[in-house]
Amino acid sequence: MPVEADAVANRRDAGGEAAPTSVALLQARGVSRHFEGMHAVEDVSIDVQPGRITGLIGPNGAGKSTFLAVLAGTLPASSGTIIFDGTDVTRMPAFQRARRGLVRTFQLPSEFAQLTVLENLMTAAPDNRGDSLIGALLGRRYWGVDEDRLVMQARVLLDRFRMSAKESDYAGSLSGGQKRLVEIMRSLMLRPRLLLLDEPMSGVHPSIVGEIASYCEALRDDGLTILIVEHELHMIERLCDPVIVMAQGHVIGQGTMTFLRQQREIVDAYLVG
Amino acid sequence: MTYYLTTVLVYAGVDALACLAISLQFGVSGIVNFSFIIFQAAGAYTAGVLSMPPDTANGGFQTYILGLNLPFPLPWIGATVVGALLAPPIGLVVLRRLRSDYQAIAMLVLSVIATLVVTNTPPFLDGAAGLALVPQPLANLLDPSSAGYEWAYAAATVVLAAIVFVIAQRIINSPYGRSLRAMRENELAANALGKNSVALKMSVFVVGGAIAGLSGAILVGFITTWAPSTWLYPETLILFAAVIVGGRGNNYGAVLGALLVPVGFEEATRYIPPFGPPGLIPAFEWVCIGGLILGFLWFRPRGVIPERRRVFRVAAAKQPEEERGAG
Repeated sequence: MPVEADAVANRRDAGGEAAPTSVALLQARGVSRHFEGMHAVEDVSIDVQPGRITGLIGPNGAGKSTFLAVLAGTLPASSGTIIFDGTDVTRMPAFQRARRGLVRTFQLPSEFAQLTVLENLMTAAPDNRGDSLIGALLGRRYWGVDEDRLVMQARVLLDRFRMSAKESDYAGSLSGGQKRLVEIMRSLMLRPRLLLLDEPMSGVHPSIVGEIASYCEALRDDGLTILIVEHELHMIERLCDPVIVMAQGHVIGQGTMTFLRQQREIVDAYLVG
Repeated sequence: MTYYLTTVLVYAGVDALACLAISLQFGVSGIVNFSFIIFQAAGAYTAGVLSMPPDTANGGFQTYILGLNLPFPLPWIGATVVGALLAPPIGLVVLRRLRSDYQAIAMLVLSVIATLVVTNTPPFLDGAAGLALVPQPLANLLDPSSAGYEWAYAAATVVLAAIVFVIAQRIINSPYGRSLRAMRENELAANALGKNSVALKMSVFVVGGAIAGLSGAILVGFITTWAPSTWLYPETLILFAAVIVGGRGNNYGAVLGALLVPVGFEEATRYIPPFGPPGLIPAFEWVCIGGLILGFLWFRPRGVIPERRRVFRVAAAKQPEEERGAG
């Protein structure tokens, strides 16, 4: 039985300021994903409010990453509906969802290892006339202006994430934390409306965990909506409002971390200790 | 001597074309197209039946479809188009849903099936005997047996290979080429960044098919015969070996690989004095090809000329400089 959140997380925990109610940027309704009889995600319904960082937590095997993959279109939903920015994207392939601004990162580092850091960012950039066979055959005179503009854009991001010095390094040669940053920067090149981050802090040096959290806050302050799956609960507490808890494929509760810590079922399922 | 040199040149050009196509598909895009030789064969057969007279000519000693007797360059253009058109049906079956390792197996099986089908349906393309007396380009205007014709043919082959090289360079140095390389590195991540990986694969599959078709047309125009025994699936493996040795994802590497393996290696082994039981030397050649692939994958997986690192200039982001990748 799901624990009802305090007004489905439309306000911060005690002492926090009230957040305005707004139309959800993403709505999942009754979403399920089955693998040959195994119900990895079962009848999950959530709303992701714009301009916030929503946390998605739960024990290993809860179905969080599967649910994220279904939202992004990496895996098709077995049933249910996903509405993104007013459009039903349930049957839309991942690349089309990404072009609409629903962009994800992966649980395991997914950098393009044999491309440089700058190339990783450039790959994600939309609106490059050279990014088609015909455009490529027409030559640099046709697409050079776009390329130059996007290089500048990518360098601004590299500068913001303090990765300029690594611009020409192969992405495969970076540390785990730097690869995570590349993935986030790469996603930002798409100008996302909703960024789905799948455990961006896992396997990352503690010094970079704080850095990633700060970047997430800054991006939220810039108006970006983020849904983050993470096990680092102190970071979830710092960043997220609301937080959704999953276990065994179901949503078992949502609200602020303070609220969730008071729920016995959730504490027993995940927050023990 | 002229015939030998021009033959080597034509084979070098044809193999360079084939290796450029494989490098675009396999080296740049990660598509393990073990059915590559089908595309070259389709081009050769197409050029053959478009340029040959109806099969009732020459006493009707061979049977085949079409026989349109078209003038040069229409058979070569037709071969290129057929190579390209063959890509979508194969690609839609193999590239859409299968993972890359299964794609490779499916392609290999397709290659075997295609050889069996053509061999066992003689009315189609004269079965196992294959096509003979394929007219050489412009044979009605020039003397194909003259040294001048042979040199001109070799020169035309080299020029066409150079044109395809320029096209391949444009592709790999463009944002489109970057997307292909990203797809090769991590297809799921590329999809998640808005890349339509099926469309990317299909497009490079069509380009590779067209180049393969052209290479088949050039070859059949020179040797004037084409039979299933010339396009068995191991031929594809030799071309893959060439690309692995030369350097995947690098057009210079593809051309170098073509010169080193299918041309250089085969020419070098031609002069080994016969020893042992009949068939030992050809069998030993295959062992060496396999050894080459394993050796390079183990000791120098990126080939003699590795894929180049793209470094963008710091001040003005102009043409990316290409820097030799570090090992």
